[in-house]
Amino acid sequence: MKRKAMLIDESKCTACRGCQVACKQWNDLEGWSYSKTVNHGSYENPLSLSPQTWTRIKFTEYDDANNFRWLFLKEGCMHCGDPACVAVCPTKALKQKPDGRVTLERDLCNGCGYCSQFCPFGVPQLEIYGLFSGDAKSSKCTFCQDRTDNGLLPSCVKTCPAKALFWGDRDEMIASGKKRVDMLNKRGFVNANLYGENLVGGLGRLYVLIEKPEAYGLPADPQYPVLTTVWQNIVRPLGKVALGAAIIGIAAAWVIIRRNIKMEEVE
Amino acid sequence: MNGQPKESGYVQIRWIPKYTFIERFLHWVHTVSFIPLVATGLVLFLPSLQALAQGEAGIWMRLVHRLAAVLFIAEPVLYGIVQPLRLWLNIKEFGIDRDDLGWIKNAFGYYVLGKHADMPPQGRYNTGEKMNGIVMIVSWVLFVVTGLIMWFGKGIVSAEVFRWMVVLHDVTMIAAVCMFLVHLYLAVAHPLMWAALVSMRFGVTSASYAAEHHAKWYYGPKRARELYEAQKKHG
Amino acid sequence: MTNHWVDLKNADVIMINGSNAAENHPASMTWIHKAMDERGAKLIVVDPRFTRSASQADLFVRIRSGTDIPFFGGLMKYIMDNELYHKEYVLYYTNAATLVVPEFKGPADLDGLFSGFVDDDGDGFGKYDQATWKYQADAEGKPLRDETLQDPNSVFQIMKRHYDRYTLETVSSITGCPKDSLEAAYKMYAASGAPEKTGTILYAMGQTQHTVGSQNVRCMAMIQLLLGNLGRPGGGVNALRGESNVQGSTDQGLLAHLVTGYLKIPSAIDHPNLAAYLEKETPKTSYWSNKPKFFVSMLKAWWGDHATAENDFAYDYLPKVESPANHYWIKLFEDMYAGKIQGLWILGQNPAVSGPNARLEREGLKKLKWMVIQELFDTETCSFWRAPNENPADIKTEVFILPAADAMEKEGSIVTSGRLIQWRPKVAEAPGEALPDHQVFNLVALKLKELYGAEPGLFAEPILNLNWDYGKELDIEKVAKELNGTALAEIKDPEGKVLAKKDDVLKTFGHLQADGTTACGTWIYAGYYGLADDGTGRMLPASKRRGQKDPGGLGMYPFWAFSWPVNRRIIYNRCSADPSGKPWSEDKKLIWWDEVQKKWTGYDVPDFLPTKAPTDPGGTDPFIMRVDGKGGLFAPLNEGPLPEHYEPVETPVDKNPFSSRLHNPVIKIWKTDKDKDVGDKWGKPDKFPIVATTYRVCEHWQAGGMSRWLNWLAECQPEMFIEMSKELAAEKGINNGDKVKISSARGEIEAVAVVTARFKPFMINGKSIHQVGMPWHFGWGGIASGATANDLTPHVGDGNTTIPEYKAFLVDIQRA
Repeated sequence: MKRKAMLIDESKCTACRGCQVACKQWNDLEGWSYSKTVNHGSYENPLSLSPQTWTRIKFTEYDDANNFRWLFLKEGCMHCGDPACVAVCPTKALKQKPDGRVTLERDLCNGCGYCSQFCPFGVPQLEIYGLFSGDAKSSKCTFCQDRTDNGLLPSCVKTCPAKALFWGDRDEMIASGKKRVDMLNKRGFVNANLYGENLVGGLGRLYVLIEKPEAYGLPADPQYPVLTTVWQNIVRPLGKVALGAAIIGIAAAWVIIRRNIKMEEVE
Repeated sequence: MNGQPKESGYVQIRWIPKYTFIERFLHWVHTVSFIPLVATGLVLFLPSLQALAQGEAGIWMRLVHRLAAVLFIAEPVLYGIVQPLRLWLNIKEFGIDRDDLGWIKNAFGYYVLGKHADMPPQGRYNTGEKMNGIVMIVSWVLFVVTGLIMWFGKGIVSAEVFRWMVVLHDVTMIAAVCMFLVHLYLAVAHPLMWAALVSMRFGVTSASYAAEHHAKWYYGPKRARELYEAQKKHG
Repeated sequence: MTNHWVDLKNADVIMINGSNAAENHPASMTWIHKAMDERGAKLIVVDPRFTRSASQADLFVRIRSGTDIPFFGGLMKYIMDNELYHKEYVLYYTNAATLVVPEFKGPADLDGLFSGFVDDDGDGFGKYDQATWKYQADAEGKPLRDETLQDPNSVFQIMKRHYDRYTLETVSSITGCPKDSLEAAYKMYAASGAPEKTGTILYAMGQTQHTVGSQNVRCMAMIQLLLGNLGRPGGGVNALRGESNVQGSTDQGLLAHLVTGYLKIPSAIDHPNLAAYLEKETPKTSYWSNKPKFFVSMLKAWWGDHATAENDFAYDYLPKVESPANHYWIKLFEDMYAGKIQGLWILGQNPAVSGPNARLEREGLKKLKWMVIQELFDTETCSFWRAPNENPADIKTEVFILPAADAMEKEGSIVTSGRLIQWRPKVAEAPGEALPDHQVFNLVALKLKELYGAEPGLFAEPILNLNWDYGKELDIEKVAKELNGTALAEIKDPEGKVLAKKDDVLKTFGHLQADGTTACGTWIYAGYYGLADDGTGRMLPASKRRGQKDPGGLGMYPFWAFSWPVNRRIIYNRCSADPSGKPWSEDKKLIWWDEVQKKWTGYDVPDFLPTKAPTDPGGTDPFIMRVDGKGGLFAPLNEGPLPEHYEPVETPVDKNPFSSRLHNPVIKIWKTDKDKDVGDKWGKPDKFPIVATTYRVCEHWQAGGMSRWLNWLAECQPEMFIEMSKELAAEKGINNGDKVKISSARGEIEAVAVVTARFKPFMINGKSIHQVGMPWHFGWGGIASGATANDLTPHVGDGNTTIPEYKAFLVDIQRA
């Protein structure tokens, strides 16, 4: 099955927040009554992803020697090709589908929050209902798994009035993203680039950026956390071996020692 | 053995106190908290138990883990509050000395093969029990630190630190559970260790047993050494 | 718009001035991006502030609020000096060659005034006698022309002299925009003067909400005429309407000086009877010479069988205004404030937040005897009587709140900025007892008829005889057919061919009659509800069509809905072909003369008599609504036939570089209660040195009634804020996010400071002047509440329309 991806063309985005609101509408998420936002001196609100905000626009006023730019970034789950969250999820609530989407089944989530701490981008948002009981649920953009499962566009893509969002086969998204970057370079945006082609196994969320990733606050070289591999591929298998060996060893010991040492002879 | 003939089928034992009520009670509290902790934790570790980790069931598992964790954390703290001197003395007893080396050399033959080997005198805790104690104390500290950070630390510590805590919690679990399985076997099933379980249940141990297996505790270190040297001379 | 939304993709250069299209018309960016990506079009954004639109632009040009005429004047000078105008187009299609009487004098000669200024009370403001603003004409009254464009009395030379003062230096000094930035913009836009290129200008309230608003728009029309952009794909003068059916509302005559279809409302003094009205208001030439057909058909629609030739088609039933009449907003609220208005019926508005000098206007609401308001939410106007700081016991107004159905909960049509009428179905049920506006009025009309039937009083006929047969539950289709127009008898053309049978729904206003045989509620809508093909052979009312065929690929989509007039997509499209009838360029060919079939043909409905050949008399007069058929470079409005720069009423400068006249001479500056706490007070730069403007943000809607009560939108923009430059913030010790107090002569409000590099101080006449801006969406109600920007704005409006000068006034700012 071909891998699917979302292309976000930040050279066309006007930061209208249609995507931010469409996502909330489709996924039944809360707004001001939950976040109680205030104006901190910017159009940007809320100030970060949250259990009730799965995508949002980040505003950056970027001044370099030659240009002033007002940069807009649509944040959300990157749907990595190597998703650390899936690797550490103990309940398989997080799954990487054959088409690359990293989906989340809320019913299976047990609220452990490992996903939120292992994601190189800090995307999954854990909503803690009881700090002492541990009752919690994780949430993040799923590329509208219920819509995309049924051949529909993600809600944000469908809404975008500036036609800055695209959904389709990943190689096509990359090709058109590269074409766009080329056009932007020619138009004077010398730092325009396509972000996400090869990062973390290749991101499912690709960006056409008009400035370098750092200008947007994006990590230039995000890494799949080494500890994920250490934990899931080394510690756990070895641990299972150790525990198994302990059980077997003890069973064997019981059998052997029974023959060698009789209770009646013990002082 | 204690001067009574074997034929009657009875064994008369002179009992001496070893563990206080508090110590025994808290030991069992520790046991009763540790087992659910392991069980509910294994649900996140073993793929075969995954169904219990998911959804509603999973949230219950985590709640039980936390309730048990409260007990687990409280137990030594309570011990320190109620009998601080004994806690301190017991901890001192876990110190390693030269005799522990000798125990290690002879342990396999003694405990597995049943050879009446030349065991150097042991204190209140033999070397094996010391190892168990150290593992349990260190793993308690590790469990509590990593566990509390995993419980309350999201957003307070960095993601990097959190990840280390998760991995360390797992590693500690593997070590502690292996240790626990050995401890369980020895306490419940090993013939030579029969007095241990009795003492943890009733607080008393057999004097002759203690004289044999915990000479430095029964006689005192100097006297135990003298007896050991004497026994070695005379074979 | 003269063009339409999709057509933006055909432009070679796009100028956004006085609009923040990306912010407030986000869907427009689809077409603008298409032009930029597929045609290599350039986008220029002109604004005091770097906006969301500016983030998309190739060129951002920063000018002070209220200096659009200098900017445009400089552009016109640049175009004329460098001969970048579209020569053939200007010569044949505009009145550039037309001669004006030599008595005409302009501001260059009369120090800021045109000839004919009359100031009765000596206060510096008055009106013009326009006698000297006319063409020289021959014995038959045809205007004289000099096709060499050299005659000093030709419009072209008059324009050159007029804009000669608008040099780069002067324009730069008064706008605060550096010369190289101006020149870059001028060069980029003037490139659309090449015959094969077109440019489009998009504008909105940033142009209109000034005391010189109408002249701002005139500038844009003149520039588009000079560059040959009007009536062509990717060109036009394109107003981005401010809300989803304001276009429909003005089409239906919801402006104080109009009835439907942009026909003037009759005055009891100037038009005592129908003949007087038709005589005075009907020009001898141009398509408007058909006005009697439109007006009489409207009367027939309204009074049906009671409107006959014998009773002047019930002309006496039609309410009339005085002369001169002023029932515009500001006057209305001044009258309310003076206690002259008993009752106010409000729909779809929140004047407590949106009105200029809002504190005064809210006081006006308190003087009403009664108020009815149809609303979705309990807005600041619904509850003006229990606003914070109000004591309900002191307010005697009886308030009726009628819950209204919103746009999704009723069926009907909405008209886009591009004149496209799209019929929409009802898709949701209104909650509780909420009713569509049309049903409310239906019930009111039926009740009024009942009451007047029982007690007729002095003159109940206009109401009793009003044609009102839509049913108890209003049948919107009946209304649609009435607006569209129907034949009341068989309609034949002069040769006897049958154009329409009795009771036919009319296909075009070309079939309307002045003899009472047709009825038509709104003549420009004729055809919108008639059956039409959607391109696949399916017949349905035109505005319901969603046909997607696009012959020609220019985005005209003639089978999609209905565009007035008569489904024409680009008006004045005769201009898209040269004088001989050939398109100016192959890729923008819209209509052309077919010599074989002897008619105009192409991808749009020709805005021209289809059988009039280019060589026929009038064959090169594309502006069919104008008396001389030529585009009006020189075209009289109240303050002059050419735009001249005047400063906003509250201006930071004391000298106008173009003349010694500081302000528009024909405006009315209100001074009610000017010494009281609430009143028409005016600020000077000594106390209020900062230029302020108001605007909208994407996340909120107008006066906030439809957005501040919604959780998702309130979350995005929760609080009232004011944007200011880092330099101003540093001067005042304000940090980003601090609360600040903003005061004007009329009031004081609090807001959060957004300190940003998107505003910068201006160098005006050698002095550094700061500008700030704030959204006007906020009021005390709702989830996202905040202070009302309009507490600060002034009660003064444009010289022609009196649209308030919301866009440029003076304030001062303090940390709170």
